[in-house]
Amino acid sequence: MHKTLIIALREYKAAVKTKSFILGLILMPVLMGGGMAAFMLFKDKVDTDDLKIVVIDHSKLVREALQERARLRNEKEIFDQETGEKVRPAYVLEFIQSDSTDPFKQKLDLSNRVRSGELHAFVEIGPSILHPDTILENTLIRYYSENAFMDEVRYWFTDPVNNHIRQLRLSEMNLSPEETKDLFYWINIESMGLMEVDKKTGNVQDAQKTNELQSFLVPYFMVLLMFMLVLMSAIPLLTAVMEEKMERIAEVILASITPFQFMMGKILGSISVSLTIAAIYIAGAIITLNQIGQGDMLPYHILPWFFVFLILFVIMTGSVMAALGSACNDNKDAQNLQFPAMLPVILPLFLLVPIMQNPTSSLATWLSMFPPFTPTLMLVRLATPVTIPAWQPYVGLAVVIIFTVFSVWMGGRIFRTGILLQGQKPTFANIIRYALWG
Amino acid sequence: MDIIELRQVTKRFGTLTAVDELDLNVPAGTIYGFIGPNGSGKTTTIRMIMNILYPDEGNILLFGKKHKGQRLEHVGYLPEERGLYKKMKVYDVLKFHGELKNGKNLKQEIQYWLNKLDLQAWTNKKVEALSKGMGQKLQFIATVIDRPEIIILDEPFSGLDPVNSEILREALLELQKGGASIIFSTHDMNMAENMCDYIFMIHKGKKVLDGTLNDIQDQYGNDTVRIQTEQGAEALEDIKGIEKINDFGQVQEVRLNPNVDSQTILAEVMKKTRILRFEVTRPSLHDIFIRIAAPERKEDNHA
Repeated sequence: MHKTLIIALREYKAAVKTKSFILGLILMPVLMGGGMAAFMLFKDKVDTDDLKIVVIDHSKLVREALQERARLRNEKEIFDQETGEKVRPAYVLEFIQSDSTDPFKQKLDLSNRVRSGELHAFVEIGPSILHPDTILENTLIRYYSENAFMDEVRYWFTDPVNNHIRQLRLSEMNLSPEETKDLFYWINIESMGLMEVDKKTGNVQDAQKTNELQSFLVPYFMVLLMFMLVLMSAIPLLTAVMEEKMERIAEVILASITPFQFMMGKILGSISVSLTIAAIYIAGAIITLNQIGQGDMLPYHILPWFFVFLILFVIMTGSVMAALGSACNDNKDAQNLQFPAMLPVILPLFLLVPIMQNPTSSLATWLSMFPPFTPTLMLVRLATPVTIPAWQPYVGLAVVIIFTVFSVWMGGRIFRTGILLQGQKPTFANIIRYALWG
Repeated sequence: MDIIELRQVTKRFGTLTAVDELDLNVPAGTIYGFIGPNGSGKTTTIRMIMNILYPDEGNILLFGKKHKGQRLEHVGYLPEERGLYKKMKVYDVLKFHGELKNGKNLKQEIQYWLNKLDLQAWTNKKVEALSKGMGQKLQFIATVIDRPEIIILDEPFSGLDPVNSEILREALLELQKGGASIIFSTHDMNMAENMCDYIFMIHKGKKVLDGTLNDIQDQYGNDTVRIQTEQGAEALEDIKGIEKINDFGQVQEVRLNPNVDSQTILAEVMKKTRILRFEVTRPSLHDIFIRIAAPERKEDNHA
């Protein structure tokens, strides 16, 4: 054990004392949160050139309403309230008559004007929008542009058109807007957690209002953090072991310790590295969220699970990576093995959304009991506000412990043979041979 | 007492028998030289003694005990191809290896050996900054930092200049005086002749020589003559009774056919040229090595 610790300490120092580690520590949250930060930062920095949109109004009903709404928007909404600076484009609407002789030619010409950049888009309002008839086409509003689906101008049309025709319909029924105010009051459904009894005081606690942060961001970031920690600590063992083998460092060290002590020392080093990073980030998150008054959002009750699963995940992945690294002879071998070896770590990330949406489904339950996926998927299920059956995390834990012991045993056998064997390709057959017969 | 014993040790790699029924006894406190052509089984034998490879058959005893599957305490090992963590500092790397070997008084030992091998100026430099020769000396220190009782070195002198070879030789002799038993493999026959109490030669996995230099040379008898003449190697051509000429330029080493009297040869050569030197001697280790390892290459054969 003593010698394993010496190896672990060296690995830890070698990993933590480098500039790239400190840089990675800073860069990881920047990269993780970077997309979001960039989105927030550049959200308002859109092109402010005026957008010209041609409208063909077959219904002849909404022209004034649209023009009025565009005028209001262009006067007020496109300027920054404090600085008075123009921050959004103005919408310039041009109404034209439909060409009844050759409507296709007219739309083709308009399309070409959009392509040339002269127009942003053109809109065709169906003739029967006020009283929809059986011909669906006549009741639609069609928005034509280069990227219509993602175009936010498209959404802008919905409101003025629908509001106006709604008023027209009410007028036809001789109802005044005051009388119908409540008619269109839309009631939202608030998402709530469940009532709980405080274990200390015995009082019944009111249910908490759940929100996006709790039901989506917390599990998501927990899993992403675990993934990044494994990526920074266990995955690099593959190339590290390969290099030690190629540079004959391993043979020198193996004169003093057993291959198993060597491998476990390296894995223990990886665990320490991952725990260091985890402690820094989680402490950072606790301090930050408390500062901005969101401290309640942190799922303190799953932190122990997080650390237990993290340690097992690093041991499990680390022993596989070290074993594979010991079977490699050069960088090319290592590169070829890296991706397939990482698949079990990456795959659960693609399953996150369906599992977060329905953590108690049988898909979620079974996948979270599959040992390579358990650390990430069981954690997601624990982190969502939904309560999963209490026995499941413990069964998951037992399964992972058994699988981890198996990985270490198997990895140790492969490592013992591979680390001193030069010139053998790391084929599947060879690796199995090392594992079974040493 | 024999500190290392190999009994009928065999190691195979697939169809190749790398070491074949090898017996070897290394007495405590001696220097044992392993010689043999490349690929003859030296490194495999050393790795088996070190427990890095396990023999397929036979037993290996260290300190009179079997050690299969265990790590060896009090044994220093310098592998043929060497590696140290390049990013670590010289001092740290020695401390790391010293701790792995449960070394005592590591700080003093590190200073002592760095001074002795003329590396003290590099104490706080990274390993990657060292030249190849310096790296090799550093690796040697890492091997002996815990003053092991058995020291096993796979080609410790390869790549060292004469000055550094001499420094390393002195260090080894000092360790031997301190009671250590030393095994080293080498291709430098002079070094083996000068340093080793016993010499062991392996060829194609089999033991072909084992004993003191005297014993080995006795086996080959006084069939060698060292001759220096005014004419050089030319004068020795076409003389009956000469089996082989090793031409070193100024001096020729001649191997005689069995039952040929050296005086006859002396008389024959005298007829042709003036003789500056004529010495009847036993074959050198170099010559014995070549006789065993390359019998098929009988250039200058005058039999």
